[in-house]
Amino acid sequence: MSGWILEVKNLRTEFLTEDGAIPAVDGITWRLNRGETLALVGESGCGKSVTSLSIMGLLPEHGRIATGEILLGGKDLCKNSETEWMKVRGNEIAMIFQEPMTSLNPVLSIGEQMTEGLRKHRKMSRQKADQEAIKALELVGFPRAKEMMKEYPHQLSGGMRQRVMIAMAMVMNPKVLIADEPTTALDVTIQAQILELMRKVKEDLETSILLITHDLGVVAEMADRVVVMYAGQIVEEADVKELFLHPSHPYTDGLLKAVPSLEEEQTRLYSISGTVPLMSDLPTGCRFAPRCQRVMEKCLQAEPKLFQVHENHYARCFLYENPFEGDKR
Amino acid sequence: MTHYLLEVQNLAKYFPIKRGIFRRTVGFVKAVDQVSFRIKKGETFGLVGESGCGKSTTGRMILRLLEPTDGKILFEGEDITQYGKKKMRKIRRNLQMIFQDPYASLNPQMTVGQIVSEPLKVHRLYDAEEQKEMVKELLETVGLNHHWRERYPHEFSGGQRQRIGIARALALRPKLIVADEPVSALDVSIQAQVVNLLADLQEKFQLTYIFIAHDLSVVKQISDRVGVMYLGRMVEIAPKKSLYRNPRHPYTEALLSAVPIPNPQVKRERIILQGELPSPANPPKGCAFHPRCPKVMKICKEVRPELIEWEEEHFVSCHLYSPS
Repeated sequence: MSGWILEVKNLRTEFLTEDGAIPAVDGITWRLNRGETLALVGESGCGKSVTSLSIMGLLPEHGRIATGEILLGGKDLCKNSETEWMKVRGNEIAMIFQEPMTSLNPVLSIGEQMTEGLRKHRKMSRQKADQEAIKALELVGFPRAKEMMKEYPHQLSGGMRQRVMIAMAMVMNPKVLIADEPTTALDVTIQAQILELMRKVKEDLETSILLITHDLGVVAEMADRVVVMYAGQIVEEADVKELFLHPSHPYTDGLLKAVPSLEEEQTRLYSISGTVPLMSDLPTGCRFAPRCQRVMEKCLQAEPKLFQVHENHYARCFLYENPFEGDKR
Repeated sequence: MTHYLLEVQNLAKYFPIKRGIFRRTVGFVKAVDQVSFRIKKGETFGLVGESGCGKSTTGRMILRLLEPTDGKILFEGEDITQYGKKKMRKIRRNLQMIFQDPYASLNPQMTVGQIVSEPLKVHRLYDAEEQKEMVKELLETVGLNHHWRERYPHEFSGGQRQRIGIARALALRPKLIVADEPVSALDVSIQAQVVNLLADLQEKFQLTYIFIAHDLSVVKQISDRVGVMYLGRMVEIAPKKSLYRNPRHPYTEALLSAVPIPNPQVKRERIILQGELPSPANPPKGCAFHPRCPKVMKICKEVRPELIEWEEEHFVSCHLYSPS
């Protein structure tokens, strides 16, 4: 069984503006393993959501994939026509969005929205599709799934809508599920329910999940592997335990320290000074250098590539230029 | 003279539900239902709870941006609940607010200088020259370059906008600042900057904060005491340490256990609450939390529990802790 299910190779996505083409994602490469949860982490503007929109072929009109490949089962999605996209979306790759309020159609019943994909992609009869949909709704924990099919999104709470979104994504049994900030709009107790559900769904159906989030707590709980993004690039990649135990890029390190802890007493929060650079006005050298506490002469002149820090652990930082040297453990 | 800066007694806000062509009132949404707490001078009181629990409504009533349906608000021992417009304006110099959305709470047509000096103008304090000097000082205090005063809000990032909002709140040298989710819209690294700034300002100006948030770890970072709300009611109030170490109310316990910890090696016993938040228009009888409570008893379905002082300074509203 080949391991990789989705592969992004040197992807560069640009947006056309008055000042020319500005990249939002600038040459990223990663692979999603079968049955794995890969987390893309970063702050607003780092390009994590644009990555997911590129994969789904949902870029806005002024956005375009400039270079790179997105390989799903060996096939490059970038070469797809719109009709081919339609076959991929919802069918092979499904997506859950941050805002369940706006991603459900308010004038269609839950049942109609749930069965649309099955009837279109799988050519199922209405009856068969309804049965499948009811099963999926039961899987995500709705005891009265049958009645729910006739209800409308406004009759549901935020957490319930998100569960419907998950059911809708899972009913097609996709190879890949992209979850873009799936719990950000939800309260903590509801977030706990949804995370639990996503874990269960992943185990039951062996789906690969691409989890996009800014919440490091969610990452620690859900991910197997983590890719940290900053200013359109990957700055660090590692297995989840390795990353949290030995954050190597100064940005990742700072990000982890900046989260207030529920467990430890801190008198003062660590904070990364300055702000994220504009993609139209990037500093020369390392993109993080102006905010970095361990900045060196070299960082201001040349852009570092991804260096290996440890086994399966890479960081875009000159501290690790000589293999294993910067890694003090 | 009491040493409490603010006392809130049985505060309530009921929003009428109107139906039909005659807009008859058919019921009430009890957004805040008999909430009481006291705040000492110089402390930070965190108010936490999930959406719809009434924490923001409580914050707004304290500034009388919303009129309470019932209850009293005492500021420095004086009941301000019945104050008229004029008297209220005077007292508002001491009560300021920082809002959640730094994109919506600054007027896009005003320059930063105008925004920060507006409170000074409204209260007719200082002449133009002095005001200019004040703005410069305020911007520097919150870590912004004072040359930016001629710029407009859209030229700033979220974190910088929040700093502008803080500078505006500080302009009148208030005694109490109600901060309603001040860092929720910000990225982690920026959030840390703003939380630290708020702590520094508190020390510098001896401020008292009411810090409203849904993020329990941020509240823990900044607060001295914390109140937990559920469905318009206060379910627990305690000093930070004792609340986070020994939560008494089953809701607080569940809430704390639900927070994902950024450490993959920590495996915690998680209490997953079943069901959804009930509608505040039709709250459950007895304890509002009983339909979701893992420790529910017979009495909980009948009798609404009172907020009692279970341990020193640790108040809880739950039948598990009855005085008898």
